[in-house]
Amino acid sequence: MRGMKFSFLCRSKPEKTGKRVAIIGAGPAGLTAAGYLVCKGHDVDIYDKMPEPGGLMLFVIPEFRIPVERVRLGAKELEEEFEVTYYPKTKVMEGERQDEGDEFYERVVRLSELKEKYDAVLIATGIWNVRRIGIPGDDLEGIISPLELLFWIKGHELGYVPKEKVPDLKGKKVGIIGAGLTAVDVAFECNRLGAEVEIFYRRTIREAPAGAYEINILRNRGVKWFELVTPKRVIGENGRVKAIELLRTRLGEPDETGRRRPIPIPGSEFQVELDYLVFAIGMVSTPPVNGSYLATDRRGRIVVDSRHMTSVEGIFAAGDVVNGPTKVGRAIKDGLYTAVSIDKWLRGEL
Amino acid sequence: MERKYLYLDYLTCIGCETCETVCAFIHDGNPNIRIYVTENKQYVPINCKHCDDAPCLRVCPTHAIYRDEDGAVRIHEEKCIGCLACLQVCPYGVPFYSLKVKAITKCDMCADRREEGLEPACALMCPAEAIQYGPLEIVLELVKERRAKNIPEHQRELSDEELERSVISGYSVL
Repeated sequence: MRGMKFSFLCRSKPEKTGKRVAIIGAGPAGLTAAGYLVCKGHDVDIYDKMPEPGGLMLFVIPEFRIPVERVRLGAKELEEEFEVTYYPKTKVMEGERQDEGDEFYERVVRLSELKEKYDAVLIATGIWNVRRIGIPGDDLEGIISPLELLFWIKGHELGYVPKEKVPDLKGKKVGIIGAGLTAVDVAFECNRLGAEVEIFYRRTIREAPAGAYEINILRNRGVKWFELVTPKRVIGENGRVKAIELLRTRLGEPDETGRRRPIPIPGSEFQVELDYLVFAIGMVSTPPVNGSYLATDRRGRIVVDSRHMTSVEGIFAAGDVVNGPTKVGRAIKDGLYTAVSIDKWLRGEL
Repeated sequence: MERKYLYLDYLTCIGCETCETVCAFIHDGNPNIRIYVTENKQYVPINCKHCDDAPCLRVCPTHAIYRDEDGAVRIHEEKCIGCLACLQVCPYGVPFYSLKVKAITKCDMCADRREEGLEPACALMCPAEAIQYGPLEIVLELVKERRAKNIPEHQRELSDEELERSVISGYSVL
């Protein structure tokens, strides 16, 4: 197997410019930006809170979609051939906030500190929080965040998470709310680990973001697919999930996304018994700031101008932390074009 | 020079659009490789296969299509008269007429990069390892190695001969 070649634009290191860039987040956007910047002769240091570079590609997306080695070899090439320095287990933060995967970091560095030490800073911290649903009982034991479940499973396989941390899913009933790529990946992994998986979605398979093709593969494997249902409350027993109460829905007029809006039907409640419940209803941007250090919008995404620069001169941002959840390729695209901007800015052309 | 192949494995592609992104980046925003999405959300990367027996090369009335030393099917832009015969016979509908260049444009297997000793960008950057580039034996080996990691639904019982035919040419000349 060959690694991703993030420095695909050059064969070897060019002459050094003497400029130093700090990148926060070693996911697709951060690594691709690093690959471009080293090809332009800049020195790059990458900070990441996880124990190894790769981001969601390495710790969350299942092996059958993106092989671990493909990402690992790519990150290693940047280190060995282009002198990129990694600072793993290091969370960069201005202010305080709890994110998923925080159990992995051992050091905290302030964003303002990096701004002082480097000529430019790129934020590519992605989406390390999940959206909460806000229904009664959604804080019971046995409700697992999709992100957490996926990086426990993969982190264990990579040797970073002890076995006790990964719930024993064999023969357990796992309910998943949502039908996006995260929901489908959770279903694949739980099914592989021997769980009885049921997916609940408020629209139909035709509107499901993950697509009928993937969902039908899961159904052929015995995963149950419930459509036109929406969760009303989670029922617990001794503080643990016992069942979920769902309402049937019907589809109304299209909403702003162009998909028909699900309308709950009053009085249609029914319950499904479960051992574990996963709300895979979206992920939230996790910028390395909480407070007014730099501008974010009301969904927590970093606001950037046409130069991909944040409200602070010299700090740039790229990837899902700016755009919200997208695809690997979109993060790579944003990382690439932001790196072009950073290079121009460092040369005084922007 | 040894014939090189650029193989897109539909069974392994995750539709992330990285190939399209890097191709557009090095071609002024106009990618040659594109991801098509079916109604049920299957992702299909479409690009020139540089077929061993390329129908476009055979049909071109002005001999504007040729094969370079690495095996890439390329266009002599000054010879192209824009008749679109190549588009009519291409099993993938790949060639398109560029009003700017006033000739057919398509993937040239990153000809400029190959001159500098670099490989095609899409193959280097695909996170899923669905795009393989190199001599036939190496491509076949890498495709098999990668497919072994696929979920069973994305694996195929193929003989070596069938896989080879899928790599060397988009359509079969029987």
